[in-house]
Amino acid sequence: MGNDRRNRLRALLARHDQEGPGSRLRHICALCVKELEVTGAGTTVLSRVDDDGTQHHRGLVHASNAVSTQLEDLQLVVGEGPCVQAFATGGPILVPDLAATYLRWPAFASAAAELGVAAVFSFPLQVGVARLGSLDLYRDRPGPLTPARLADALILADWATAAVIEQVDGHNTSDISWMADPHVEIHQAVGMVKIQLGVTTEVALLRLRGHAFTAGVPITQVAKQVVTRTLRFVPDNEPT
Amino acid sequence: MSITQDQRLARTFVTLADTLVADFDVLDFLCLLTERSVEHLAVDAAGVILSDQRGGWRPAASSTERPDLVALFAVQAEQGPCSECVATGAPVTSADLSTPHELSRWPLFAPAALDAGFRAAAAVPLRLREQTIGALTLLNHEPTELDAGTLTIAQALADIATIGFLHHRAVTRDELLHEQLETTMQQRAIIEQAKGVLAEYGNLDMDRAFARLRDYARAQRRPLSAVARELAEDILHPSAIAARKT
Repeated sequence: MGNDRRNRLRALLARHDQEGPGSRLRHICALCVKELEVTGAGTTVLSRVDDDGTQHHRGLVHASNAVSTQLEDLQLVVGEGPCVQAFATGGPILVPDLAATYLRWPAFASAAAELGVAAVFSFPLQVGVARLGSLDLYRDRPGPLTPARLADALILADWATAAVIEQVDGHNTSDISWMADPHVEIHQAVGMVKIQLGVTTEVALLRLRGHAFTAGVPITQVAKQVVTRTLRFVPDNEPT
Repeated sequence: MSITQDQRLARTFVTLADTLVADFDVLDFLCLLTERSVEHLAVDAAGVILSDQRGGWRPAASSTERPDLVALFAVQAEQGPCSECVATGAPVTSADLSTPHELSRWPLFAPAALDAGFRAAAAVPLRLREQTIGALTLLNHEPTELDAGTLTIAQALADIATIGFLHHRAVTRDELLHEQLETTMQQRAIIEQAKGVLAEYGNLDMDRAFARLRDYARAQRRPLSAVARELAEDILHPSAIAARKT
């Protein structure tokens, strides 16, 4: 059942990619609106990760409509809200009724209500500790995401994460499958490359991804090579 | 069951209940649960899988992180007593995986289990109201028929896991369960990253790296996930846990 949903979403996204202009993230936002019964969808992407990993530059906001854009901006301005909290907890924050959160987020809840937002669902875009952005959905009336829609949202958030990684490291491939499956070796390899290069986890992930692209092999395969110690990264960027 | 065993079991329930404190860590808890399951249920290995909420199941904790066992727990998320258990919400047992019946019942799982040295398997559900959120799997090297008493204890341990999973938040909204399940998935990814850091730094196998991480967290009385996060975020240097070896 899970695979059917995934395959259906994949086909829909492929059609978007072929037909419409714009980035993969924009297409994912559009698909969220179409498939998840939400009013708007937006992503905030931390556009660049410096080699020391300390500087996150707030980057592009992709949004399906103006309210979504304002919602993304709002959270960065007031420094609170589901997206900010999703970053803190490392998991999604699902708010089916924003009106019930005035005590939790006084500034955000009232400003969002003025924008006509009644429910918010925030998904962090991250790979372990590597934080890359967030996907935020909103609806103009309250109510939860059904379990089936939540499943779709999580799958789309996985793909958005993969899309952000491609965007950040400047490579563009349609290989999004690796984010969807529990490939623990990718996470282990990221930790190993981090030590090999003396870089942050974010940078290690991008180097791994970059090598997979350059070598033309799936990132899962590169990860396996690293974990089995048949591939090492050395600090001048070139794996040996 | 002797009085000593009863006492030990009682102590385990108290220990598990005692971990339900403010800085409670789900993966810590599940890890402890699998270790204690091995002890009390007289099985050779135990593991917990959780719903990934995308239609699949993922390993969350196991009594050891030996690579062959990790691989087996990955297979059983697709097929075997564990996936049957989460599909039906009822316990599933197999006393001998090497019989033709069981080999045809689980053509992927049974051979994989036998290859890893396990002849018997059982699974009990982690249930919350009408939902099954995961399963506790038990594996034995020898053909073993688990008796009703053992299954009752296994289910009690699984129930404790479910309570533990949600205890630190008032479970008044379904959203909290969904948030917690996904957060646990992310924490598991962070633990894998931390294992990679330690494995590379100390030239350790992944299961040794995990054992070091777990032992360090316990010695420091700190949540496993928090220590893993600090390693992966350069707040804690790996030299605190493992000696540098190349």
